[in-house]
Amino acid sequence: MKRYIAALSLLFVLLLGGLGAAALQQDSSPTRNDQKPTTTSKNNGQTQEVTGEEVFQANCSRCHLPPMSIPQRVTGTIIMHMRVRARLSRQDEQLLLKYMAP
Amino acid sequence: MHFAGDRGPEERVHEEMESDILRFVHQLRRLRFIVALALCLPVLVYAQDTSDAENHAGHVPVISGGIGYIHNVDGGVPTLEPQITPVLLVPFGSHVLLESRTEFFGFFQRENLTSGPFTGKVLKNVDYAQLDWLANSHVMVVAGKYVLPFGLYNERLVPFWIRNLQDAPIDANIGVLTSGAGDGIMLRGVAQQTPKYTVQYTAYFSARSSINQLQAARTAGGDTSIYLTHPRLEIGTSYQRFLQDREVNNVAAYVSWQPPTTSLDLKAEYDYTHTGNGYWLETAYRFEKFQIPPFLRRVQAVGRMQQFFALNGGGNALPRVNTQQFDFGLNYYFRDNLRLVSSYGRSFSSQQDANIWNAGVTYRFTLPLWPERKK
Repeated sequence: MKRYIAALSLLFVLLLGGLGAAALQQDSSPTRNDQKPTTTSKNNGQTQEVTGEEVFQANCSRCHLPPMSIPQRVTGTIIMHMRVRARLSRQDEQLLLKYMAP
Repeated sequence: MHFAGDRGPEERVHEEMESDILRFVHQLRRLRFIVALALCLPVLVYAQDTSDAENHAGHVPVISGGIGYIHNVDGGVPTLEPQITPVLLVPFGSHVLLESRTEFFGFFQRENLTSGPFTGKVLKNVDYAQLDWLANSHVMVVAGKYVLPFGLYNERLVPFWIRNLQDAPIDANIGVLTSGAGDGIMLRGVAQQTPKYTVQYTAYFSARSSINQLQAARTAGGDTSIYLTHPRLEIGTSYQRFLQDREVNNVAAYVSWQPPTTSLDLKAEYDYTHTGNGYWLETAYRFEKFQIPPFLRRVQAVGRMQQFFALNGGGNALPRVNTQQFDFGLNYYFRDNLRLVSSYGRSFSSQQDANIWNAGVTYRFTLPLWPERKK
């Protein structure tokens, strides 16, 4: 039981450490490149811009460490593969292509 | 003179083996043609495909995947686990993709488990071999042998170059009987997408198959999840009806959260089946944004706890007694695709308490199968 409490504590420490770091943090994650392809989508009358980097952070970085080193000539194939695996929309696929192979 | 009825069991086995071998050779001949066609067609399609003016992404066939080596010690028994998992991707234009993943997995243990020379063998398994039609955002049609989309771990974290801890969770076998894959049709895609959230779905039906490398159970099921964009929080659930032998329901619920301003990664899953239920909770943190020496920023710390509760005697690839386990791991990323992995775990059950150690290296590779088109 004591060991279990220790394990729980460890997880808690990791979680709290992460949250603490989040609170101290000033900047967001680094930009891969200067070009930020965007798309515009409307929601309740408000217009919001979504960038390829945001799509990457929201989807790819859940399993892969950014930035990813992929040759440009295969980027289209890899993103098709990931579109199926991660159930991405056509719009997200296009933004990722522009972001990863500008 | 021998009559069919007089043949001994050995002769019959030999005859069956011969006929199996002949059938296999015949299938290989057919496959050779299909593979050659599959590799040639995309080149023709690619040649005709108009290039996208907005990006320079190429659509050439690729072999991707991972190479890894893990030294595992479980309850004092060392195991050497070299593995290579190539993923073949062959696009036909930008809407159709042929993909397959084959796992070559070495399993070497000492002759007397803790003493003697290492002996073992290399196992081979086709994880999936499927044809995808990316019709539109709402529907992608998958046909062939596909990974059963059940829960978070089985759908996304099985490749050893992706997962943070090399040992699978105790309840990872729920929802993936009999081979982890289904043979049939699957639909998946985005049901709805707004700047604030995305709703994704998967639905599938798998036929029963006992063909070598295409083993699958008769199942039907689906998965749905909602991803909240700003908090980067995903909540999902999977359901599966196992439709052969004893019909049972399998259910999973999962959460994945990556807070936007930090390198924390939290994942959790609960699984239920007739023979047991359990959960795991995993947190991982990379120190990339800490004010520490640069080489230490490549370290990732991982913690996981899990509990499994046996029901109706357990079994079916699950423990027969209640089991608890915690793991703690440290990974070091040289690059985004090359890392050292290590972990220590302790499992507790009424049968045995055991220490589990893992240390190794994983590498993700990407090899284009076609040269770059000259401009």
